[in-house]
Order: sequence, then structure tokens, then C-alpha cells
Amino acid sequence: MEIHITALKKYYHSEGKVIKALDGVDLSIPANKIFTLLGPSGCGKTTLLRSIVGLETPDEGEIRIGDTIVWSSEKQIDVPTEKRGLGMVFQTYAIWPHMNVFNNVAYPLQNMKLPKAEIVSRVEKTLQFVQLEGFGSRPATRLSGGQQQRVALARALVAEPKVILFDEPLSNLDAKLREETRKELRTFLSELAITAVYVTHDRIEALALSDQIGVMKSGHIIEIGEPKKIYFDSEHQFVADFIGRSNLLPVTIENQGEAYTEVTSSIGDVLCARKEFPADSEITLCIRPEFVDLIKPGEKETLQNVFTGIMKTMVFVGEVYESEIQIGDQLIMVKVDPDSNVQEGDEVVVAIDPDHCLLVSR
Amino acid sequence: MAKVRHTNLTYLLIGILALLTLAPIVMLVIGSFSEGLRNVGKFTFEKYISVYSDPGLVDILGNTVMFVVGAALFSTILALFLAYLNNRTNIPWKFSFKVLSVVPMMIPHVLFSVSWALLLNPSNGILNLWLQQLFNLSNAPLNIYSIPGMILVEGLLDLPIAYLIISPAMASFDVSLEESSKVFGGGNLKTLFKITLPVLRPAILAAFILCVVRCLASFAVPSVLGMPGRVYVLSTYIYRTVNTGFIADYGKAAAIGMSILVVSISLIYVYRYMTRSSEKYVTVSSRGFKPVVIELKKAKIPLFIVVVLISFILIVLPVLVLLYTSLVPYSMVPSAKAFSMMDLNHWKTVLADPISLLSLKNSLFLGVVGATLGTLLSLFIAYVIVKVKTRTAGILEALSFLSFSFPGIVIGIGFMWFFIKTPLYATIWALLIGYVATYLPYGIRPMTSAFVQIHSHLEESSAVCGASLLTTMRRIVIPLLVPGIVSGWVLMATMFLRELSLSVVLSRPGTEVLAVQILRFSEDGLWGRLSALGIIMIFFSTLLVILANILGNRFKPAHD
Repeated sequence: MEIHITALKKYYHSEGKVIKALDGVDLSIPANKIFTLLGPSGCGKTTLLRSIVGLETPDEGEIRIGDTIVWSSEKQIDVPTEKRGLGMVFQTYAIWPHMNVFNNVAYPLQNMKLPKAEIVSRVEKTLQFVQLEGFGSRPATRLSGGQQQRVALARALVAEPKVILFDEPLSNLDAKLREETRKELRTFLSELAITAVYVTHDRIEALALSDQIGVMKSGHIIEIGEPKKIYFDSEHQFVADFIGRSNLLPVTIENQGEAYTEVTSSIGDVLCARKEFPADSEITLCIRPEFVDLIKPGEKETLQNVFTGIMKTMVFVGEVYESEIQIGDQLIMVKVDPDSNVQEGDEVVVAIDPDHCLLVSR
Repeated sequence: MAKVRHTNLTYLLIGILALLTLAPIVMLVIGSFSEGLRNVGKFTFEKYISVYSDPGLVDILGNTVMFVVGAALFSTILALFLAYLNNRTNIPWKFSFKVLSVVPMMIPHVLFSVSWALLLNPSNGILNLWLQQLFNLSNAPLNIYSIPGMILVEGLLDLPIAYLIISPAMASFDVSLEESSKVFGGGNLKTLFKITLPVLRPAILAAFILCVVRCLASFAVPSVLGMPGRVYVLSTYIYRTVNTGFIADYGKAAAIGMSILVVSISLIYVYRYMTRSSEKYVTVSSRGFKPVVIELKKAKIPLFIVVVLISFILIVLPVLVLLYTSLVPYSMVPSAKAFSMMDLNHWKTVLADPISLLSLKNSLFLGVVGATLGTLLSLFIAYVIVKVKTRTAGILEALSFLSFSFPGIVIGIGFMWFFIKTPLYATIWALLIGYVATYLPYGIRPMTSAFVQIHSHLEESSAVCGASLLTTMRRIVIPLLVPGIVSGWVLMATMFLRELSLSVVLSRPGTEVLAVQILRFSEDGLWGRLSALGIIMIFFSTLLVILANILGNRFKPAHD
């Protein structure tokens, strides 16, 4: 089911200050896709999620799920949370400690007053789906973090809702388990015809899990797109910066070519992926460290965007050296192969693929 | 929408609570300016003038200050000593401290006071008689009917309250503060006085203030131990004004009560302010290590004996004395002769006495029904205070805190002025309402801490799963609250069963309760019957505690 959000507003008043958690959000979430709301903490993503499920009451606007308006300030509609028929996985999992696994998962079905036999079979099926077969009689408190997470998922799925919401569900797991669970979650969700709305501040989680990402900043959706578009071809400096490490250089456009846009920056002239901007807009060049390649002096002539600099720092972090190269007065972050024999203080030559020189508006 | 429901609930609860807590205060004020119970609202200053121009008041005020400050100091220092031993030293039998801190709350204050009177009264106290025989004295060497006697008994009774405030603060104390003192050359004692006690000062002061409020409200000790020696404090002065002599003067009683109430309310808000800031002050270490335990070495055994002795005096002695007194025909030193004369005559008399039986029935009704209603009300109030958290919910919290300061006998006078105008006057329901109003905070507190432990996500996920507010309450919130509900109920039930200070004002013929009946026996010197009835009271009180815990365990989840 699609979710349509129109002009949604929610202001909080605290100690005389107004916090705009949602400042006129317009958003369409496509059906049966994994849609991620990504943003720094306090950007309003959780408020938006909780407004969709009805745990938060917005000030103004409208929320439509499928054909049903669940909340509207104008039409004075407010479907209570329990009548919205959604599934949700909470950050804390919210597994009820006084019930066993079966009762936790069966709860939504019991509220629908289904016959006992049907409840039993559907719970069994769902537990099987999340690979918790035979865990039904276990006390919910005697489960590992990963297992609790799957109980929470089973509970959200058991009533076969058309929409499932995730509020940072992986943030309480340790790094290794988080990676595994993320993959599992992706598999589970792609097997179902379900609209998933996923809130996170972890960019890798967002990139790995989503069909679409909506990036939020201070109550606004800044940009929506597929993960690759957000990563390689974002429109805004904020998005480019938030989604991954990058060198951000203010530039001015020199020449609008056919294939490339030529700009001047503090490291010199750079050829960039072609992009149109309105006149006198402020533009930033975004270069990701992994696209700055160390080259041998001989290769210089065959490549574009070649610069010479001094290797300033090299920090070994395992899979790469996180390094900084000084070009002119500008320090550029670069990823250097771990087996490289370059040392701090060496003169180095780098080339930057113009297709990965991204121009974004400030 | 959910908000609207909560707002209505909040206003409803504020309404109930305001009626329970503000009505007696307002009526007390009106009463103190009125000519008499039958002439409410006929304005006069006369009551204040007659009370506060009475030269006898100076003595009473002096007694009150000595009694209150002495007893509060005694219990605070004793609590500090015990809390330190328990939390910071290697004293053996640490579990006994838990018993020590909880059990005395179950012992009815009036019985505890009576047992001391039985031991140390100047005419035939058992200990006094024994000392007289031993040293061949002509007069009783000790007199419990005095201010030092009252301080001793009241101080022991308030010990648990001080202990329950000081001990957790001591336990959560960040030991690195002490360790650094030792690194820089401070010895054990120096560290204790220069570092530990100053850091714990807010908790210590809070305990002291709460003890002062309790002593000021205390009626059992001053009535059982003070009045026979003609040592009057404010609470017994009020009692004398309405209960003895010629005509009960509730206007005058209200005028005296006003000053106790004003002091109590001020102190309780000071306490509230202090316990708030103390959370910032006492550094709770999150690192989860056990505090370093101090080796007591040679002092270990003597200190341990002191603790055992205090436990014995607080818990075993009162029951033993009562049991013994209920079996012997008159006061005598335990001896072969005394044991040979034992019979069940006092028990038979009490069990055949219609008023004693009626008071038992009334007290059990008030304990069970009152505690159940009180728990139900506390449940909703705690829910709004913890979970709704709006500004109006804040009013609710402040209101519920107000009755913490209620001195029973004063608020009883206030309720008297209130009920006289209603059909509730002289019914058991008047007592019930008064009890719930006065002891509500004791129900709310365990419940709020239980609610705090329930993460809001647990309720929210229930709503997402399609459960209505009622279902969420029934299936998620209540089951998780059961331990809090049980302890709240037990606390209220035991308090109601032994309630004295409100009851002496509100109880009328037909609505006698146990503690009042015991006080009557005490005033008449019928120690044997008193002891038998007292044991019955302790028996039922214990029974309620056990039953509530069994019931609570049934509702508890099967695991953990």
C-alpha cells in the first residue's frame, strides 16, 4: 500500500524554544518497497514514523495509507493507532517480558479475536519464517538480542499488515550481528509483498537495505532517491556529505561543456560530471576519498583531472590507509591501498575520474 | 485522541484528589475560625486567641520540640550507623538488615509503645520490678513515661524510614570519591567525616526532615507513654481538647492543628526540594562495581552484637512482652510462679467482648476494602504522573505529595469538620475516606516506581498490535505492575489495620477500630486484654501480608 503524506507539521515547545520536528513534510512512499528515512538525530525522522503509526499527533497536514485517510487536521480524522492495522518493530524491540514468545507473537491475532486454532497455526508459520521454530514456549526474556529482534519482527508480520514500520531496529545489536540481521531482514522483506518504512541514522544500513532513501534534515525531506543515486549523484551538499565521507570544495563554473562541466576550485581546474545550475547559485564539488587514485608519473598524460601533492598523513585502519594529501593549500582525503609503499612526506600524483566529481548545490 | 482521554482522566483524578486532600485542610481552616461544630462558618478569632494566649502552651511547645528533634536525631543517627555497617563493612548476617528495615513498619506503633510501657512503667513495669528485686531498690529506677522514654521509643519506630532513605544513598555512593581521599592520605575515620558524610548530607537531611514530620504527627507514643506521665505534646493536646474533660472543642483543636499542619507541609516541601537536588549530588556510579568493604577487625563482633540487640528490641521483644502479658493474670517478673499462673482468661474476655470483636471486624474491613480502593486510585494516579507527564499531571503529583505531610490527628479534625455536614458522619466510610486520603502517598510511591520501569515502547507496541487502551492495561501494564501493586496494597492494608491517630478523632460508637480499642484498654490499664487483642492484631496483619504475596505470585509470570 502506498503512503501519502501532505504538508505534515509538528512543532514541539520546550523551554520557550520551538523545535520544528516536521516542518511541512510532503512525501509519497511507494507500495511494496523498502523506504528508508535517513537523517541525523533530531531531524524528525522518528516523529514522522510515529505520526504514520499514530503514536504521535501532528499539528497539521494529512496522512493517507492506501485509500484510507488515517489522520487529517482539516477533515478532523484521527484513526487511533490500534485501528490502523500496521506492524512496527521498535528500537527497544518492546518484547513483553511477562509473556512467552508465542504470546508475544500471537498478541495482534488475539486482538483480532481470531479462533484459537488459526492463531496457533499462523504464529507457528511466522515463527518458522523468522527461523524461531520451537521457541514458542520460551520466556521472552531468555532470548539473545538477535532472537528478540526476530520475535519483534514476527509480531509485526503475523497479522500480515500491508505496511510495516521499523524504528532503528538494529541499533541495539553489536556490529557483527547488526550486519547479519540486516541481510536477513532484506531477505525476509523481499519475500513479502509489504511496504516497509525504515528509520535509521546509519548510512550503511540505509544504503544496504533500501529500495529508496529519503534524506531528512531539520523537519524537511531534502532528497529522495535510490541508494546509488543518493550516493553517487545527490543534488545537495548535505546529502552528499551525510551519506559518505567526502571532500567538499566550493567551486565556480568556468565552462559548460558537452560531456563535462569545468570548474575552478582551490586545487585548480576540475572536470566534473555535467550538471546544470541556475545562474549565480552556490556550488560545491564533492569528491569521495575512494575515487582519488594514486597513479604512476608515467600515466599522467592518459588521464584527466591529474594533480600533484604531498602525502601529509597516513592512518592504517585495516582495509585501507586513510590518508590526506596536500594539493596547493587544500587537504584532500584519500583512500590508499594497504599494500602501498608510499610514505608520509612523499610527493604523489593523483587522478580523479570526472564521472565521480559530483557538483551539488549548497 | 488518546490525549483527550488522558486529559479527562487527569482532571477526574485531580478532582478526586483535591476532594480528599484539600477538603480536610479547607475545613480545618474554616473550623478554626468557627464557633463550633454546629455553627460552621460563624466567624470568630476566639479559638486562636484562647489557644495561643494560654500560658500552658509554652510547656507543651517545649515538650514537642524536645520530643520531635530528639526522636528524629536518634533515628537518623541510628539509621546512618546501620546503613554504614550494612553497605560498607564486612559485618556478618547482612540479610538481617533488610528484615530490620521492613518489619518494624508492620508492628503497630501503639503496641510497640505499650510493650515498652509494660517493661518500663514506674509502678509495675517488668524490667523495673526485676531491677528493684535485683538491687533491692524501693523505687522504680527507670520511667518510660517521660520525654527521654518517648524519644527512645519514637526513635526506634521511625528508624526504618530513615534507614530506607539513607541506605540506598550509601549503597550507590561513588567509591572513587573515598578512594581518592585515601590516596591523598586520609584515614578511614577522616574519610568518613570529611568525604562520605558531607557527600551524603542531602540524604541524611532528607531522612531527618521526614522523621521530624513523622514525630510531629506521632500520636501513639505521646498518648501511651506521654499522657500517663502528664507529658503533653501538640498531638496529645489536640486529643485532650476533643476527647477528655467537659465539652469537646473542635474549633480550638483546629486552631492548634493549624500550626502543626503549617510546619508539616513546609517541611515536606523542603524534603521534596532536597530529594530532587540530591539526585544530582549523590553520584550514582554506573560502572557496576561493588563498593570496597571495610574490614571491621576487632570491632566486628561487638558491632554485630549491637545490631542483633537492636533487631531483638525492635522485632522480638514487643511480641514476647505482649504474649507474656496476655497470659499472666497481672504484671509480674517472669518466674516459675508466673508461668504456673498462666491461663487464657484475658483471651477469653477479649473474644467475648462485643466491642473488641466489632473493632476487629471494622479494622479488617477497612484494611481489605480500604487498601483495595486506595491501590486502585494510586494505580491511576501513578499512571498519569509517570506516563502522561503533562503540566496538569504535575499538579496531581504535587497534590498527592501533600498528604505525605498529614498529621493524622490534625487531618482527622479537618475531616470531622467536613463529615459533620454529610451523611457519612460517624459511619465506617468516613474512616475509610480519611484513611485513603492520609495514606495515599504510600500506595502511589511503589506504583510510580513500578510504572517508571515499564518502557513506553511496551505499551505503544501493544497499540500498534491493535489493542485498545483497556486491553493494553489488562494484558500489558497490569501484569507488569503486579509486584508494585502487591507492595502498595500490603503497605496500605497494614497501615489501615493499625491506624490510630485519625481513628481516635473519627471513630464513634459503632465504628470502633482495633488501635483505638487498644488505646482504651491502655488508658484503663487493662494490660492483659490489651495484649491479647494486640497479638490478634499482629496475627491478622501478618496474615494479610502473606495472603497478598501468595496472590501476587499467582499473577506473576511463571518465570523469573
